[in-house]
Amino acid sequence: MTVSVAGTGWGTAAAVADPARPRRSGPLGGAVRWLLRTVALTVPVFLFATFLTFLLGAVSGLSPAGLLLGDSATPADVARVRADLGLDRPVLVQYVDWLSHVLRGDLGSSWLNGVSVSSQIGDRLAISLSVAGFALVIAFVAGTLLGIGAAVWRGRLFDRAVTAFCSVVSALPPFVVAVALIVVFSVLVPLVPSAGYVPFSQDPGMWLALITLPAIALSLDAVADIARQLRTGLVSAYQENYVLGAVVRGFSPRRVLLVHVLRNGAGPALSVLGLRIPILVGGAVVTESIFGMSGFGRFAADGALRGDVPVVQGALVVAIVLVLVANLVVDTLLLRLRPAARRRT
Amino acid sequence: MLRPLFASRSGTISAVVLVVVAVLAAVGPWLAPHDPLLQDPRAILAGPSAGHWLGTDNVGRDVLSRLLAGSTLSLVAALEAVAVGLVLGVVPALLSVRLGRVFEWFSLRLMEAFVTLPFLVFAVAMTALLGNGLQQAMLAVGILISPGFYRVTRAAALPVATAQYVEAAVLAGASPWTVLHRHVWPKVVPAVAVATASLLGASLVIVSSLTFLGIGITPPTPTWGGMLATDLQYLFQRPFGPFVPAALIVATVWACNGIADALRDAPGRPAPRKVTAHVG
Amino acid sequence: MSAEVLLTVRDLSVHTGDTPLVTGVDLTVARGATLGVVGESGSGKSLTCRSLLGILPPGLRNGDDTTITFDGTDLRALDARGWLGIRGTRIGAVFQDPASYLNPSITVGRQLAEVLRVRVGLGRRAARDRAVELLADMGLHEPARVYRQYPFELSGGMLQRVLIAVAICAEPDLLIADEATTALDVTVQAEVLDLLSDLQERTGLALILVSHDLAVVAQVCEEVVVMRDGVVVERGTAGDVLTAPAHAYTRSLVDAHARYGIERFRPAVTVHG
Repeated sequence: MTVSVAGTGWGTAAAVADPARPRRSGPLGGAVRWLLRTVALTVPVFLFATFLTFLLGAVSGLSPAGLLLGDSATPADVARVRADLGLDRPVLVQYVDWLSHVLRGDLGSSWLNGVSVSSQIGDRLAISLSVAGFALVIAFVAGTLLGIGAAVWRGRLFDRAVTAFCSVVSALPPFVVAVALIVVFSVLVPLVPSAGYVPFSQDPGMWLALITLPAIALSLDAVADIARQLRTGLVSAYQENYVLGAVVRGFSPRRVLLVHVLRNGAGPALSVLGLRIPILVGGAVVTESIFGMSGFGRFAADGALRGDVPVVQGALVVAIVLVLVANLVVDTLLLRLRPAARRRT
Repeated sequence: MLRPLFASRSGTISAVVLVVVAVLAAVGPWLAPHDPLLQDPRAILAGPSAGHWLGTDNVGRDVLSRLLAGSTLSLVAALEAVAVGLVLGVVPALLSVRLGRVFEWFSLRLMEAFVTLPFLVFAVAMTALLGNGLQQAMLAVGILISPGFYRVTRAAALPVATAQYVEAAVLAGASPWTVLHRHVWPKVVPAVAVATASLLGASLVIVSSLTFLGIGITPPTPTWGGMLATDLQYLFQRPFGPFVPAALIVATVWACNGIADALRDAPGRPAPRKVTAHVG
Repeated sequence: MSAEVLLTVRDLSVHTGDTPLVTGVDLTVARGATLGVVGESGSGKSLTCRSLLGILPPGLRNGDDTTITFDGTDLRALDARGWLGIRGTRIGAVFQDPASYLNPSITVGRQLAEVLRVRVGLGRRAARDRAVELLADMGLHEPARVYRQYPFELSGGMLQRVLIAVAICAEPDLLIADEATTALDVTVQAEVLDLLSDLQERTGLALILVSHDLAVVAQVCEEVVVMRDGVVVERGTAGDVLTAPAHAYTRSLVDAHARYGIERFRPAVTVHG
């Protein structure tokens, strides 16, 4: 942390004394306060989100009794199984019990086949993360290039083309894009296989070929969003005096853009990237079923349709943790990018 | 209120598109030339003809009739979701400004938790676990989009609530209702209108995604997403099949976004950032 | 003072569309000289300065008859690349509202070092050391600490000192200070003016000091130009203009100062000639 400044030592600086100078906390203040604040905000969100997840199973009224015992089960049998599994306890007690297992990495086991949920998710997560990660890379790279281009050539043809592109693309649901991509690149011009997944370790080329279409389908909306936010942010940064200041120092347009404009104008786009992560993770449900990948989203959807509550809850918990971690990374980046934002904390 | 919509060309086009789709959805069932569920074994996967303008599907149902019926279902579903989101977002947002720190803290964290939930996974889970109906799906979508309403409402209401002229009004004895009605409402309504338009588009995308996956509907019921999914299986027999429902979805979502943009930009366009450069 | 001419401005005009905002401004600045430009806001003094730096706001342009010759170079003929060789290294500038002219996300020291690296060609370390040295030269206490601070952590007077360091670190021949002390407290303003004239004497830098405040200009400058409504209404040595203003507008400025200025309360510091 570079901001920490002790509160003493200013008194002698008579020549530069200014009554309005900002007060700073102690040397460790910045880092510790930031950490505390982050924990204080993230933990409740985690608890709320997991509680909602848990509640979903609880209010569904589903129980493994029906699944295990079949239609012939008597109410007494069902009640016995529910009692065995502790499902007759108050919801809050069940939640705390469930959460304590979750925190130890135990997501329970499927009601249908009894296999541990965490081990099932582990295998499938690699598939979903490959696609979501690649989609994130596409969104970041394409969105950044389009946004920067539109801001640099604002008002020109490129800018208008980007605006039109964004307007069309943000009206395209991922599953429509996915279908269109399959029709074009697998049916009309058979470049890539339309479905399936091969692990990277097995065949990197095939891995990339198979995740490209789903990643594009998933990312297009985010590309448009990032490009638009970045353009807005950069255009307003370009109007700031510090840009004029940099120009007057004789810096090249490229240096002005990369060092001075981008850093201050990229904040909103980065925030959007953070907000997009839950959508990318969730979008796996659609793309995986269209592209025939047995990833984590499809696992969750299939589990839900079969009423396999632990599977659904486990998948949601994993997704929540992923999203929270990603948001923390984005927040930290934002803070590093724009230290002035720390003033607000 | 609607005047700014027609100030821009894209706003006007969007409004026209949405009105056309809405009218189709409203009177569609009466316009439909056939029963959308009636199967005609003699005309399976038929191309366009005088009897079936858009042809028939894999079990010989009239595609046009199904599209019209599907429009009603898809739009009504999206509207329901928006209504749920509106209530769950706007009310807590207004209360969060008014009710003090504890409620404010809780509502903020709850909304953050909603945002954190992976959208489609949660919607699928909620719909499927709670009985796999369109109503459940709409409740799920409504809950998930409520943070959008919460955020804009709070952002619009917060500065008003702490503004000095409102403080003065309260000191002068204005009731909370008067303050809400006279000071807060005029600021909140335009912001909520923009959010409504864009979240209607978003809901439509989610509704279509869910029905595309076959979640929230039972098979014979026609929806845009569901029809797209079926048409896709018969791509080779009816290559243009998926195009029509897809185009309807895209056009409607585009129109919603266009209206949101037009409403956002219209009231005195966000002033270009203050130019502090000293020109003297 | 040597008579070698550094900057010649002839018939400078600024237009927006067909409307002239500034017309017929002639200026001459000798190497190492000081020129004051006085005028109320809207008088065209800032547009004149910006013309010298090639940074007129969008939509504004210089008239075709305008010639600006700087040390033998025709500034009007420069393209974007050509300007890069002038700004910073040949002509430096500081403006009003110093906080807004520094990148809020980078420490002030690194912004100073950036100029030293990119424009002067120093290495990373050398730029850093030189930057701390320059900050000390500007009268900033604990320069090593100031180096590590962000603009929002410093006061206006400190920031203007940093900006002056940024403007002069590449050793330009001319420094343009456009209302550079306007936003500062009176005492801080006096200190910054002292710093400017000190620098000017020490380094032989030519200085164009622009202000709405006659007293500020008189404190530092030998020559004064008075502008109003986009034209020069009076010019001469600081002493002549202050003691025997020829134009009615200048007289009103001097009178206003005599009536409302600080001199009224401190007769000892009467207008110096």
